[in-house]
Amino acid sequence: MLKWNKLGIIFSPQEAVGRDWLQEFAQAPSVLIFPEFIRVYFSCRPGADGNGQYVSYSSFVDLNRKNLFEIVKLAEQPILSLGGLGTFDEFGTYPVSVYRDGENVVAYYGGWTRCESVPFNVGVGMARSIDSGVTFERAGSGPVLPYTVNEPFILSGPKIRKFNDLWFLYYIAGKKWIHNNGKPEPVYRIRMATSQDGTNWNKLDKDLIPTKLEEDECQASPDVIYANGKYHMFFCYRYSLNYRGKEGGYRVGYAYSDDCFNWTRDDKKVGIDISDSGWDSEMISYPHVFELDGSTYMMYLGNQVGRFGFGLAKLDGVL
Amino acid sequence: MQWKKLGKIFDPTIHPAFKRFVGYAQSPQALVLSDRIRIYFSIRELDKMGKFLSQISFVDFDLTLTSIIATAETSVIGLGELGTFDEHGIFPFSPVIIGDAIYAYTCGWSRRVSVAVETSTGLVISKDGGLNFERLGTGPVLTSTLDEPFLVGDSFVRFYNGFFHMWYIFGTKWDYFPSEDAPDRVYKIAHATSKDRINWIKESRQIIESKLNEDECQALPTVLYFGNKYHMFFCYRYATGFRKKMERGYRIGYAFSTDLINWFRQDDEVGIDVSPGNWDADMLCYPNVFQCGDKIYMVYNGNEFGKYGFGLAVLEE
Repeated sequence: MLKWNKLGIIFSPQEAVGRDWLQEFAQAPSVLIFPEFIRVYFSCRPGADGNGQYVSYSSFVDLNRKNLFEIVKLAEQPILSLGGLGTFDEFGTYPVSVYRDGENVVAYYGGWTRCESVPFNVGVGMARSIDSGVTFERAGSGPVLPYTVNEPFILSGPKIRKFNDLWFLYYIAGKKWIHNNGKPEPVYRIRMATSQDGTNWNKLDKDLIPTKLEEDECQASPDVIYANGKYHMFFCYRYSLNYRGKEGGYRVGYAYSDDCFNWTRDDKKVGIDISDSGWDSEMISYPHVFELDGSTYMMYLGNQVGRFGFGLAKLDGVL
Repeated sequence: MQWKKLGKIFDPTIHPAFKRFVGYAQSPQALVLSDRIRIYFSIRELDKMGKFLSQISFVDFDLTLTSIIATAETSVIGLGELGTFDEHGIFPFSPVIIGDAIYAYTCGWSRRVSVAVETSTGLVISKDGGLNFERLGTGPVLTSTLDEPFLVGDSFVRFYNGFFHMWYIFGTKWDYFPSEDAPDRVYKIAHATSKDRINWIKESRQIIESKLNEDECQALPTVLYFGNKYHMFFCYRYATGFRKKMERGYRIGYAFSTDLINWFRQDDEVGIDVSPGNWDADMLCYPNVFQCGDKIYMVYNGNEFGKYGFGLAVLEE
């Protein structure tokens, strides 16, 4: 079993001042490493509108590479505006995953729209940055990963990777909406696609990770890292209903693969769980694992899926 | 080209088999069978909130298109499940015979909040001669992508030169136009190809130039090969005022191609227009062109987007 030492909460949106777009939540951390600092992208929200509805933005905070608890800089603006009228990302850009591709940085993100019969739909967008990830331009006004026959809605949670010159996109796809007495809840699973150019994607068209909790288990944030001859995936999973508290809420799961395509789920190995008390005592979710200066770290969300920010854990040993 | 109008041939508001609906027989599309011509169309019912749902039905005509010999018992495909792209209606529905089966490309509708609707193209298959269809899956086969951000639909598929060709439309913008209360949309005709009928490669460009202005809306391409050319008929209108103002409403346009790549728009050649004082005095829309024996026909909708049915025309020259 892996052993993660929790180091505590590392960024809390409540600390931010003077940014009306950053009032609540800091979700789905994704790291880009620079010589002096690490840039952590996350998604956040202004206050709710008159109907209690949120939009979401993505932005970043720079942490001192030598001391990850020291904030060097907090972005002045979101990295992307919301999409135009009727587009897939008109009401939110969450979550985001970044990758340094030569001189540029590419971002894949979930774009949110609002529907009538169900509360929302999500599509995967793509954007590029030529200023080291401070601002991004959309590759187009539509999504980069289309819905398909077996992936009808909620394409979200993209994690962009490049292994052996091939692009990999790990993401989630909705399977169905549960009616739930007029308050529909989605069921989604982890899927993947590959691409030669990052734009045109070939979907594997199958669920990568078997369910454990129940048939309608929801899985998210499929974060993949290569280490010691294997591909490791950390993800989160929860019950389909009544998931907003400790009982049914998110936990972090683990799977491994020799080839990026065929995965073996082995949650017993994950080595991280909720705490007895504190900011991550009810749920842990949206893991992102990265290596920095010889150590392996995980950033993750705690209670209320990141309402109070994200925390850090350090691996004791190697993956 | 000259079309001879043969009049309205079906009115859903007076036919006894369609009493439970609230009218509309939109986008008639013909399937020529050995003993009949089956014409599928979208017909509307009301949901619990009083909003329209388009269902797919059909009427069967004899091979001369002079009398109705049968009508559909039920919708040939139900609407999609909660949250799917075709939950709130299918319009239009485009059949094509491929091998032993009848395939149909659907345009599924789902309602949105900031704009009225989003659409995508689905694929359904019938193994019983076109009476009942089943989905390939709950999602679409053609939908929005980087450069075609929304409103993909109106797909029409034919097999030519070793490939399946799809002509369809995609949205280029939603906008609040000064004269209107709600957002209006602009859409254009595009083309994709496939080897397997399911996976499509978009050409990713508008293939028919705009004529009225940049915001011209182009819809429902239908293509037929005859006389050594590919002929495309479609309908087009202004982006606003098209519901009430006759001069801004749908008309039928025409383009031709010899290579399926370059299309030349020649609306002057279309040979069909509105008929003052008649059922199609205000608009002409949703054409479907097909051959039966040695005759080439067009079925199409007239006033109010087909609320009172569809009519027939035959090509004279």
